[in-house]
Parts: sequence; structure tokens; C-alpha cells
Amino acid sequence: MNLDYLWNGFTVALTMQNLLIGLAGCFIGTLVGALPAIGPINGIALLIPIAYTMGLPAESTMILLAAVYCGAEYGGRISSILLNVPGDAGAVMTALDGNPMARQGRAGEALMLSGLSSFVGGVFGAVGLALFAPLLAGLAIGFGPAEYFVLMVFAFATLGSMVGSQPVKTLIGCTLGLMLATVGLDATSGAYRFTFNEPELGDGIEFVVLVIGLFSVSEALLILEHQASGVSVIRELGRMTARLDDIRKSVGATLRGSVIGFIVGVLPGTGASVSSAVSYTTEKRISDTEGTFGKGDVRGLAAPEAANNATACGAFVPMLTLGVPGSGTTAVMLGALMLYNIQPGPMLITERPEVVGGLVASLFVGNILLLLLNLPLVNIFARVLTVPNWLLVPGILVLSIVGVYSTHASVFSILLMLGIGMIGWLLRKAGFDMAPIILGFVLGHVMEVNLRNALAISGGDISILFQSKISIILWILAGAMAFMPLILGWRRTRAAKAVQAS
Amino acid sequence: MSDTTSSSSTLIGRIGGLSMLALAIAYGIGGSRIEYAFASDPLGPRVVPVLLAIILTVLCLFYLKSPGTAEAFPRGQLLVRIVAVPLLLLASALLLEPAGFAASIFLLTAGVGWIFGAPLRLALIGAAGQALLWWSVFSYLLDVYLPAGRLFG
Repeated sequence: MNLDYLWNGFTVALTMQNLLIGLAGCFIGTLVGALPAIGPINGIALLIPIAYTMGLPAESTMILLAAVYCGAEYGGRISSILLNVPGDAGAVMTALDGNPMARQGRAGEALMLSGLSSFVGGVFGAVGLALFAPLLAGLAIGFGPAEYFVLMVFAFATLGSMVGSQPVKTLIGCTLGLMLATVGLDATSGAYRFTFNEPELGDGIEFVVLVIGLFSVSEALLILEHQASGVSVIRELGRMTARLDDIRKSVGATLRGSVIGFIVGVLPGTGASVSSAVSYTTEKRISDTEGTFGKGDVRGLAAPEAANNATACGAFVPMLTLGVPGSGTTAVMLGALMLYNIQPGPMLITERPEVVGGLVASLFVGNILLLLLNLPLVNIFARVLTVPNWLLVPGILVLSIVGVYSTHASVFSILLMLGIGMIGWLLRKAGFDMAPIILGFVLGHVMEVNLRNALAISGGDISILFQSKISIILWILAGAMAFMPLILGWRRTRAAKAVQAS
Repeated sequence: MSDTTSSSSTLIGRIGGLSMLALAIAYGIGGSRIEYAFASDPLGPRVVPVLLAIILTVLCLFYLKSPGTAEAFPRGQLLVRIVAVPLLLLASALLLEPAGFAASIFLLTAGVGWIFGAPLRLALIGAAGQALLWWSVFSYLLDVYLPAGRLFG
């Protein structure tokens, strides 16, 4: 296996500038993860325009965003353990055993142990990414426009079956994203679509405007609505080292969590919330012989923490090799790559080795930096939890305005962000997830271009989409993914009816 | 009680579903009327929007059949506070170029801080601090262009 891209990547990631950028990203990421009000997507969405206007090169921006992403997975555990409120979606399971530990006066131990599990999960994920990425990219090198189009269909099908309890809402989200992607100038025909004679919409809806509107503005309104009352921070951290016994006890859980996390991360459309849930329930089944899970068992803390960090790295595999994001956050990062006119896909490793290699290498460096930051500074991060919402939320809104305004210096963009934010708020109240919209938007343009290119090659013959072996396999997989929840749901109802009848 | 809440949330879901259905139809009609002079591919710019409109219509029909659970809508004082946040954002966006970044951010952070429950005095002090902090960070440290304002500049 040729790992030259990785060794070269280390020369990119280890320059002084990129090390400092990575360190800043790790710090910001841990903060973003620790604060329940903002998750990794918000943090990344707010940083993209700032990195772009500062003129950072693509690889440095990617290193910054990846550090924020991984840092948020580390940081999420802090509020899970101390507040019993997950800092981000991936840390929901961490609270189940982490918070009882904190209530027993073992908050410091829980933070240290989960920090170590995060590190193992993160490094395992980075190794997996480094090895898998070239393999998968090699397989996908024979993809033409038709295969690409079917691959995107497959990505949407997996999303519909895996995200959320209501696949229809997920699919509606994807379609809305695809529709938003059609706004603007159509390059092949020169036609303006859905611009309503507004020159600022000529280039389409800015990615940054959409992401910040959907995530930050709507989030601010939701925070106001759900303003938590009576949540108490546990201030007594107790002993600040992990016990050797506990480390020994949690080795198996950490390794199993890392493997599960990485595999779930590689699957398109599933994120850390799925992987931490799967790893927790698996670990409970395997190890919980005395019924201690949920009461402060270190294995119940280690497994989901290792899993969510491994997932963060695993999610880069489909993003970097196929151009299909493995999670909501990587969908946003994909959008950031496109800002730099970089089209992700199997050629990315050969065409832009500094970006892929730099990013993968930075994950190794980032995990070490995160461990060093998170163990001694956990006290400082824990104190951030006491920042009141009346300071925090206005700060998020200021960053949103600066982010949107700085890319194009236009007030219209801010107004568009506001409108999108209001719609996002309504959709979120109706139980819609925002990630599918972003996924649809990011993939929409590529999907349409590939479909039209494929049909241009075949002279309008639609059978080109079903001709190659790869396409047929992808169609079958997409069909299986799309219909699986329907079949499972139908079987469940039938079983329930049978029970009722008897 | 729970019955009323669930039926009102289903109603909200239905209204949302119908709005999206209307959007799908409007988008489809708009898509079928896109004007273009030439197309270098057999599909042209109209087909994909029309296809998407059909897909969204079908999905909306499924959704309308069982909209699932939606959160109850805020009422009374909370609704006023929620509406005030986008209004403040709108005001500060419109004031950004004439009044400048610092003044418009001061208005936004003071107003939103107050809405989020800070005592007025603290909200004002916090806002002054944020305006100063963000202006210095972006204009001097990160070199990001932000308007100084026509009224004062």
C-alpha cells in the first residue's frame, strides 16, 4: 500500500503555521463541544468564512476545521459528565455513566478516563482513515458520470434509512437541499433558475449563508425556547487522575468502541450519535453482568467516548475518497472544500495530496494535542460551562453576521441567512434534521452535473445509468437501504398485531 | 391534556406539510418555465427541477398521512421574545452599513442579552464589551473587513 501521501502530509501538518492553526482548532473545538449551546457544525460553519477571508490555504483551513471537529468530540464529554447535558449529539451516551460517576465525587476520574478513551478512539480512527482512504479511492477510480450519479442516489438512500425515526422527513430534507442547490446560473445552458431577478442570487445561495442560517440562527431561537432551568454544574472534580484498575477494566470497551465507531463513521450519513449508541448498547450486552451500567461503570463511559472520536475520523473516509460525506459535519467540510474550488472524489489524493495527506496527518497530531490540552486544562474547560446564555448567544449571532458578511460584504446575505434561519427553526420544531438539507445542497450540484453529463454521453439514453456493474451494484444497495426500514416497520406492525390477536 | 397537545402538534405538522406541498407545486411550475437559449445536454435546465418537484410532492403526501410529532408552538411572552430576536437581527443587518459594525453589534448583543434574561445594566455592559472585543478581533487581529459606518465615518 502506498502511504507516501501520509508521510508528505506530515510535512504539511508539522509546519509551524499549521501546528498553531491545529492547536487553535483543538482549543476552539473543545470549547465548542463543551458548550451545550453549540455543536461542531455550528463551530465549523462559523469558522469557514473567517478562515476563507483570512486567506488561509485549503490545507490549513481543512486542518483547522478537522481539529475543531475532533476537539468537539473530546469536549462534548465535559458537559455530559458535569451537567448531565450532552455538549454535542455524540456525547449523549457518555452522560449515562459519566454523570453518575461525577455525582459519586469521581468527576475528575471520569474526565481523565474519558479523555484517554477519546484519544484511543481518535488515533484508531486516524489509522483506519490513513489505511482505508487510498484503498477506497483506488476502487472508485473507474467511476464515470453515471456511476457517480448512482453513488449519490445510494448516499441519499442510506441517509433515509439511518438518520432519525422518520425517514420521510430525512428524504424531504434532502430534496429541499437539492432544490436549494438549483438556484442560480445553470452553467451548461446559461439559464438563470429561481433567482427572481435578484443579481445576488445569480451565483446561487452561498453555502456559508445556508449553513449558518440553518444551524446558528435557528439554534439561537431554540436555546431561547428551551432555556434550561435548574441544571447544576458539578464543581467538585475530586481526584484528577484515572485509576490504573479502571484503565485496565476499560481497555476492552475502549477498543470495541473504537472499532464500532470507525465502521459506523465510514457509512455515509451516520454520525457520532449513532455510533456511540451502538457501542454503548453492545458493551452493555457484553460486559454488564452485574447490572452496574448506568450507575457509573467505567466501561459504559469508555465505549461511547472511544466510538464518537473514531467516528469523527471514519467519517472522513467517504468524504475524501468518494466526495460523499459520512456525517453532517463532514458535509459542511465538503462545502468548505468547494469554496476553494476543490472537487472531492477519488482523484483528490493524487491531485491534491497536500490537502488529503495534511488533513489525515493533522488528525494524528491533533489527537496528541487534544490529549495534552484536555488532561491538564480540563478545569478551565469545565469553567466555560458557567458562561451564561445571555453572553453566549449574542456572541454566536455576532459571529454569524461577521461570517456571512465577510465573504461577500453584502447585507443581502445577512437577510437571506435570517430568512433561512427562521425556516430552519420551523423545520426543527416539526422534527426535521438539518444535516440532510446540507447534504442535499452540497451534493445537489455534483449530482445534477453528473446526471446531465452521463445523458450527454449516451445521447439521452437513460439506460446508461444501469449499464456498468458498479452502477447495478449501487442501485441494488440503494434499493435495499431505502426499503429496509419499510420492510422492518411492516414486520414490526405485523408482529404487534399477531401479539394483540393472541 | 396530552390529547390536545398531540392533536395541535399534528395540526402544525399538517400545515407545514401543506406549505411544503405548495412550495413543491410552485417550484415545479417555476422550473418548467425556465427560459434558456441553448442546452448542450439532452436534459436542459428544466428537467431536474421538475423531477425534484415531483419527488417532493410524493414525499409531502406521505408526510401528510402521518406528520409525526412536532413541538408545540411558543405562546404569550415567550413568543414575543422569540419574534424579537430575528427582528433585532434584521435591525442590526439594516444598520450595519449606515451605523457601522460596532453600533449595530451593540444594539444586537444588548437586545438579545436582555431577551435572554440579563438585567438591563448587565446586558448593556456585556454588549459594550462584545462590540469592543469583536471589533478589535476582526478588524485588527484577523484583518476581516467590517464597515465602520457612514454616520460616524
